[in-house]
Amino acid sequence: MALVAAATLSSLLSGVAPAAASAHGSGRDWLGEEMPLPLAVKTPQDLAVKSVAEKQYLIFNLLAGGKVAWDAGDFATAATKWETLLRVPGIDPEIERVIRPLALTARDRAGGQAAAPAAARGPAAVAPANAAAPAPPPVRERISPVAVSGTVAGGGTAGPGGAVVWLKRANGETPRPAPAHGKVISQKGKAFVPHVLAVPVGTKVDFRNEDTIYHNVFSLTKPNDFDTGLYKQGGVYEQTFKKPGAVQLLCNIHSSMIGYVYVVDSPYYAQADGSGAFTIKGVPPGEYDVEVWHEGSSKTTRVRVSVGAEGLRGLELRVGGDRRPPAFVPDKSGKPRQSQLGY
Amino acid sequence: MRGASHSTLAFACAALLASRAAVARAQTAEPSSGTAGDEVPSENDSEGYTPPAGTNAAPALVLGGYVDIGYAHAQGDGTSYPPGDTRLPADYGVDTFATAVNSRGDVASTDSRGLFTNGFLPHSVGIGGRPSFLVNTVAVDLKYAPPSAPLTIFMRLLALPRFSATGDATRVLVEQAFGRVVPFDSLELALAVGKFDSVFGIEYLDNEANIRTGITPSLVARYTTGQSVGAKLFYRLQLAPLWSALSINAAATNSGTLVDALQTPDVSLTGVPVGSVRVGYELNLPTVQVKLGGSGMYGARNDQSDRTARQHALGADLRVALFGIYLNAEVVKIDEDAGGPKTNDSGQFMLASEFHGRGFYGQLAYALALDAGPLHKVTPYARYEQRHAWFDGFTPLTVDRITAGLRVDLWDSLIVKAEVLVNRELAGAPKVANNVETTSVVYSW
Repeated sequence: MALVAAATLSSLLSGVAPAAASAHGSGRDWLGEEMPLPLAVKTPQDLAVKSVAEKQYLIFNLLAGGKVAWDAGDFATAATKWETLLRVPGIDPEIERVIRPLALTARDRAGGQAAAPAAARGPAAVAPANAAAPAPPPVRERISPVAVSGTVAGGGTAGPGGAVVWLKRANGETPRPAPAHGKVISQKGKAFVPHVLAVPVGTKVDFRNEDTIYHNVFSLTKPNDFDTGLYKQGGVYEQTFKKPGAVQLLCNIHSSMIGYVYVVDSPYYAQADGSGAFTIKGVPPGEYDVEVWHEGSSKTTRVRVSVGAEGLRGLELRVGGDRRPPAFVPDKSGKPRQSQLGY
Repeated sequence: MRGASHSTLAFACAALLASRAAVARAQTAEPSSGTAGDEVPSENDSEGYTPPAGTNAAPALVLGGYVDIGYAHAQGDGTSYPPGDTRLPADYGVDTFATAVNSRGDVASTDSRGLFTNGFLPHSVGIGGRPSFLVNTVAVDLKYAPPSAPLTIFMRLLALPRFSATGDATRVLVEQAFGRVVPFDSLELALAVGKFDSVFGIEYLDNEANIRTGITPSLVARYTTGQSVGAKLFYRLQLAPLWSALSINAAATNSGTLVDALQTPDVSLTGVPVGSVRVGYELNLPTVQVKLGGSGMYGARNDQSDRTARQHALGADLRVALFGIYLNAEVVKIDEDAGGPKTNDSGQFMLASEFHGRGFYGQLAYALALDAGPLHKVTPYARYEQRHAWFDGFTPLTVDRITAGLRVDLWDSLIVKAEVLVNRELAGAPKVANNVETTSVVYSW
């Protein structure tokens, strides 16, 4: 078993021989490529020690060698080294979390091409006699955004409509979304239209009164709390939502009016339609945590998914239906109102 | 394996640090579709979600309610009757409402030890001076608001389980049942018919256990928070440039605004309706809300049958909300003519005496929003109130009360409250030990 592992590691390393040359070329003497390591093997224990040592040796060299190549502007080599590193069996999750986005970026900057093969030189190019044929370095295509689609179920008696679905990168940071433009919530027929609006963080939303009566829209949801004051038909109030999370919308005059803005901190989001169907466009392939918020659920749903080059279809998500509308809707001072009074 | 894992981390540590620096540089160096720190436009073009036409986000039929369970202890025998006081009627010389233990104003005891009383009595849970657990109220609310019409039908059913042989019997009552219509989209005008809350003053607005800041009602609540059957109108005019509004709330009902222990709310004994009204002004600034009101009530006295015996009341109220601080204050003046034989929830009595009452309260509360897990809000509060009243020909009585309490809101629907009432007889009655310690746990659904 240990022999097989050693062979596999050797084959991995031999696949990045050009990178080794590059590393040496950059004058990093602390990066060695000698494989197999000159450790004596006389007993099965010796072999186990050697196998472990070579694995760590390989991990370090791929990790640091990729960084040296990155610093030298050799993104193809960096990508190749890190992609190889990510294929090492049993790699530490912390390394994976840090390196995977860097590998993607490096491959992207390299134009999606693998490093050009160079003449094999040095000991690393010499595979042990019992090693399998070296696997070619993975050639990633340039990252093309794809779509993630599926359906949301649940949501209680109101159904899943309006559920907000968004993706967060499982490994690395999620890109910051650009604010959306032209988002409007009307007050129409003593209701918020739309009832639920998802926007990226930093988006300015226009609150527009289309009723013939006054409204005073407000939210007590910190830190996105706001108060439009009274405004009549045709009046517009602008509010920028700077922090992520659900924002409950209320009217200080009409206690029956309840709506929501959901502020997402990801560019990859969508809202479910009345049947629960949703499609998130423009998603780069990778590992993601899918999160779902629904006004009828007390908890946010979260599942991990892997988005491939072809995207992801048929994702089935479920939200709870345990959260009822509030028994008493507060006025803008926070004092609860008895809605049956009508004021 | 453990050692191997550690060595992996040790080997990787320095390189990771360097890699993080590289990430930071990459974020600022150039835009990328997948690098954190860059602003990536979303391809979401949704305009939001609105439920299909003809449906509401909220269901048309909503079933709600609450259960209020308490633990209370009143000093002495749970009444305000001083030991050895033989004045008659016994309830004319003391404040029988002082030992309130719950949001309905039910007292620990009304047992007069055989002394004659004349129907000026609250409802009683009958625990006397024994610390006791109580099921104060089980309320079921039914609200129907069809999406196709500007109509709301509302009913509140109360079950009041009482387990003591010396207090009131268990009751089930329809506290409210009314239909409300908003006839014009362009006007804040609502008309209601049925059995509904008073329109007098402000205390009726938070009369229920799950909405009241504290536990017990004020000493003047007995005059202002009763429900009655009739019709009412609400109209509000917004004054947008002033962030203000004017409102009027007027009702014509069988009975006045006194609580059901003091009158018959559901039927008219005199055949003469009672009119009541509140005129209000409100200033709704973003951080400060001020609400002022003046109330009046006039009509036949409905705890007796003489059509000429009248009752009238005047009141003024103030509410200020500022950065989580709430000040509520109200002053009330009520006068009732003498009438014939008295009929109310306590039974049939000899005579409806001429009565005069004056009182006020001021309550200060601070709502500290925490949103720390289940702990949503903590609200300490204090109230001071005074009441001066007399029956014609009897000694005027002046009492006051200091109330201090703490309310804790847990999750969305659970409230825990604890309150201490310090009752004092200032004039017209011997001092008596009738302070109260009470708690309340209210779960709303």
